[in-house]
Amino acid sequence: MNGPIRRLALVLLVGLALVLANVTYIQTIAGTGYRDDARNRRVLLSRAAKERGAIVDRAGEVLAASGENPDEQGFLRVYPFGDLFAHPVGVSSLLFGDRSIERAYTTRLRSKQDLTISDMVAALLGRDLRPESLVLTLDAGLQRVADEAIGIQSGAIVALDPQTGAVLAYVSSPSFDPTTLLGPTAGPAGDTLVANPDEPLLDRISSATFAPGSTFKIVTTAAALELDLARPDTAFDNVTALELPGSTSTISNFDGGACGAGATVTLQTAFVRSCNTVFGQLAMDLGAGAMSQQATAFGFGLDIPFEWDVLDSVFPPPSAFENDVPALAQSGIGQRDVQATPLQMVLVVSAIANQGVIMEPYLVAQVLDANGAVVERTAPTEWQRAITPTTAQILSGLMTQVVSSGTGRSASVPGVQVAGKTGTAETGGAPHAWFVGFAPADNPTIALVVIIQNGGSAGDEATGGSVAAPIASRVFAEWLGRNP
Amino acid sequence: MSRNAEAALLAAAAVIAAFGVTLVNLASARGMDTQVALTFLVFVLAFGGLHVAARQWAPAGSPFLLPLSALLTTIGFVEIYRLDTRLAGLQRWWIVIGATLAIVTLLALTRAGTDVIRRYRYIFLAIALLLLLLPLLPLDWGFPIRGRLVNGSRLWVAADFGFIDIQFQPGELVKVLLVGFLASYLAERQQALSMMTRRVGRFTVPEPRQVLPLAIAWTASFGVLVYQRDLGASLLLFTVFVAMVYAATGRAAYLVAGGGMFAVGAVTAWATFAHVQPRIQAWLSPFTYYETTGYQVANGLFAMGSGSLSGAGLGLGRPNLIPFAATDFIFAAVAEELGYPGSVVVLSLFGLLVAVGIGIALRSRDLFRKLLAAGLTFTLGLQAVLIVGGVVRLFPLTGITLPFMSYGGSSLVSNFVIVALLIRISHEERS
Repeated sequence: MNGPIRRLALVLLVGLALVLANVTYIQTIAGTGYRDDARNRRVLLSRAAKERGAIVDRAGEVLAASGENPDEQGFLRVYPFGDLFAHPVGVSSLLFGDRSIERAYTTRLRSKQDLTISDMVAALLGRDLRPESLVLTLDAGLQRVADEAIGIQSGAIVALDPQTGAVLAYVSSPSFDPTTLLGPTAGPAGDTLVANPDEPLLDRISSATFAPGSTFKIVTTAAALELDLARPDTAFDNVTALELPGSTSTISNFDGGACGAGATVTLQTAFVRSCNTVFGQLAMDLGAGAMSQQATAFGFGLDIPFEWDVLDSVFPPPSAFENDVPALAQSGIGQRDVQATPLQMVLVVSAIANQGVIMEPYLVAQVLDANGAVVERTAPTEWQRAITPTTAQILSGLMTQVVSSGTGRSASVPGVQVAGKTGTAETGGAPHAWFVGFAPADNPTIALVVIIQNGGSAGDEATGGSVAAPIASRVFAEWLGRNP
Repeated sequence: MSRNAEAALLAAAAVIAAFGVTLVNLASARGMDTQVALTFLVFVLAFGGLHVAARQWAPAGSPFLLPLSALLTTIGFVEIYRLDTRLAGLQRWWIVIGATLAIVTLLALTRAGTDVIRRYRYIFLAIALLLLLLPLLPLDWGFPIRGRLVNGSRLWVAADFGFIDIQFQPGELVKVLLVGFLASYLAERQQALSMMTRRVGRFTVPEPRQVLPLAIAWTASFGVLVYQRDLGASLLLFTVFVAMVYAATGRAAYLVAGGGMFAVGAVTAWATFAHVQPRIQAWLSPFTYYETTGYQVANGLFAMGSGSLSGAGLGLGRPNLIPFAATDFIFAAVAEELGYPGSVVVLSLFGLLVAVGIGIALRSRDLFRKLLAAGLTFTLGLQAVLIVGGVVRLFPLTGITLPFMSYGGSSLVSNFVIVALLIRISHEERS
C-alpha cells in the first residue's frame, strides 16, 4: 500500500512546489508591477493614513483632527468648522499639499512613527512617537462673529491681543472648505478653487497687500510726533486742494471741501476728520527719509515674524521720492506705491495700543504631547519698538476721537472707549474700505483690522466709516462682551 | 528528536508569538500591553498541555507534529492579531479549545486506541452525515440549532441556547470523521475493491458495484456544492475520498474514474451554478473583472507583490485592503508583511507536516492506521495546496481555510484533533 501513498504524497509536494513557484514569480519578478499598479492603494495610503495631531482653539474647540477613515485603514483629516478656519488652520491634503498651520507645523503634527529601527528602539525606551497637537490662540466664537460680519464680501479681518501678539481672529473671505481637498476628488476640487476669480485660496491677511489709504495717516502722524514736527494742536493751512509742487495734480479732501471752517485746522481735527490736504502737506514737511524711517519702524519692508512667510508691505525708499515730491505727499495718505498687508496694519495699531511696542504675532499658543501635557508654550516676544510711549498715548487719544466724534463713529461700542482710524483707499475701481483700531482705549485687549475689498456690497459708495467700521464694532462687542 | 527538544521548540513558538504581538504593537505605537503576556500564556498553556498529554498518553508518538503545527498556528495568529485584534482574541480562545479537544482525544484513545474508530465507524459516518446536513436546517425556526447563510453559502450552524450563542462550520469536523470512517471501511474492503477481473481492451476496469461507493461520495460532494454552495468543501471531500480509495487499492482505475466524475461535476457546476463562474473569471483574469469578481484575487496579488522580497514588516503592510484577509487570504497577508522568506517558511512547514504525516502512514504496519494517517495528512496537505493555490492563482479560489493559520474555530479545532490522531497513530505503531 505504500506505493500509492508515496504517489499521493508526491502529488501534494508537487502541488506545494507549484504554489512556491507561483509565489516566487509573484513576489520577485511580477512584484514591482503589482506594487506600483495604480489600483494598489498602498503607496497613496502609506502617506495619508498616518495619524495627525489635533488643532484646537484657545478654549479647546477642535478645529482639525484625525478621524477614523471609514473606507480605509488609517485616518482621515476632519475639519469640523468647514471653511471657517481654512485660512489660519489650513489643510493637510495629499494631492494639494499642506497649507497654513497644517503646513508650518507639519512635522510636529505628524506621527513620529517612521517605522525605522531607531524609532522602534526609541519606542521601547519610552519615547512617545504619537503626534503632538496644537492649541491655537484663535477664539472660535470671535472667528465666527467676524466671519458672519464680513459675510459674502471679499476682504479680511484680523484681530490680536496687542499686549502679547496672540491672534484672536483670522478671517479671510472668501474661504474654502478644506474637506473638499481631501480624498479622491481633491484634484478637480482644487482646480476649481484655483480657477475661481474670487480667489478663495488667497490668504488676504498675510499674502496680499492693499493700498492702506487713510489708515496710513497713523504712520505719518507718528513720524511727525516722534520728530516733534507737529503736535495735535499744531495748525495747518486749511485748503480745499493741496497743490503738489512740480506737477499739476492736487490732493483734495474726501468731500471735495476744506477741512471744516476757518483758515487753519489743527492736526487733531484733520486726523479726526481724515483730511487729506493736511497729511499730504505733513508728509512733504517730514521728508522722504523721516517718512520711510517711521514706516520701517512699524514694520514696512521688513519680514514680519509669523507662523509662515508674510508678504512684505511696501513704503518706497527715500530715493524713490528724490525727483517726485507729489508721490511723497500721496504716500503720506497711504496711496501711490504704499502697500500693506492687513497683518502689517494690525501691527501698526497694536504698537499704539501697546505703548509703542509691536509684539510678534502668533497663532500657536501651545504644543501638547499625545497625553495632553504641554511640551512648548509660546512666550510673547517683543518684535520692535515703533514709537515712544508718549507718541502712542497721543495717537491713542486722537484715534479715540475718531470713533467718538469722527469718521469712525460706526465702530463704537456702548460703554467702551474704542480707538480707531478709517480708510477709504482709492483703487481705480470701487475703493477698499478699512478700519483699524483697538479697545478698550485705556487698556487694550484687542487690536483689529477690517478691510472690505473694493467696497464690498456697497461698491463705489463704500467708505471705511460706513462699511468697515460697523463690522469692527460687532467684533469689538463680541470680544469685550465676553472679556470686559 | 526527543520529547525535550519538542518542549523546547514549543516554548520557542510561544516566544515567537509573544514577540510577534510585541512587534505589531510597536508598529501601531501601542507598545507593551497585556496582549503580549496573554498570547504567551495561551500558547504555553495550549501547546504545553498538548506536550504533557503526548508525554503521558502517547509517549512514543512523533515529536515533530506539535512543533510544526505550533509554528504555523503562531504565524497565523500573529497575522490575525495584526489584522484585527478582536478576531485574535477569539482565535486565542479557539486555540485553547482546540488544544483541549486534542488533549481529550489523546486521553480518550489511551485504552482502546484508534481501534475505537474502527469499531464504531458507522456511528462516525452517521454523525458525519448529520453534521453535513446541519447547515441546511431552516434559518429561522423555533429549534435553537439553525442554519446560517454567510456570504451566500450554507456552511454555518448557529446554536443559540440563550445562555450561549455559538456558530460553527460542521463541514470542518465532517472531514475528520469521514476520513476515520473511510480508513476503517477501506481497510476491511480492500481486497474486494482491488480485485478487478473485468477488462476492456488492455485496461482493467472496476465492476459497477465497486464504483458504487465512489458514486455515492460524488453525489454527496455534489450535494454539498449545490445545497451549501461550498466549492472548497465539495472538492476537498471528493478528492480525499478518491485519494483514499486509491491508497487502499493501488488501482489507478479509481483515479481515472474519479477524474472523470470530477470533470463531469466541474463542467456541470460551471454551466449550471451562478456562483461557480465568477470564481473562474476571477482566476483567469482578475484584472479584467477588477471592480467585481476579480477584486479579492487582484488585491491578494497586490499584497504579495508589495511584500516583495523583504516584506513590509510585521504590522507595517496593508493586508487589511484584501477582503477576507484573516480567513481565505491569510497567506497573502503573511506574504505581504513577512515577504518572500515568510512565504517560503509557511510552505516549507506544510511540506514538512505532509512529510511527517506520510512518514507515519508509510511506517504503519496496520492497514487501518496506515490509511487513517495517510487520509488525515492528505486532507491537511490538500487543503493547504488548494487554498494557497487559489490565492496565488494556481487554481480557482475555493474558499477553504488554511490549516492552523486562518481565523476560524471549527477549522482550528479539527486540525488540532487531526494532529492528536496522528500522534496517537505513531505512538501505537511504535509501542
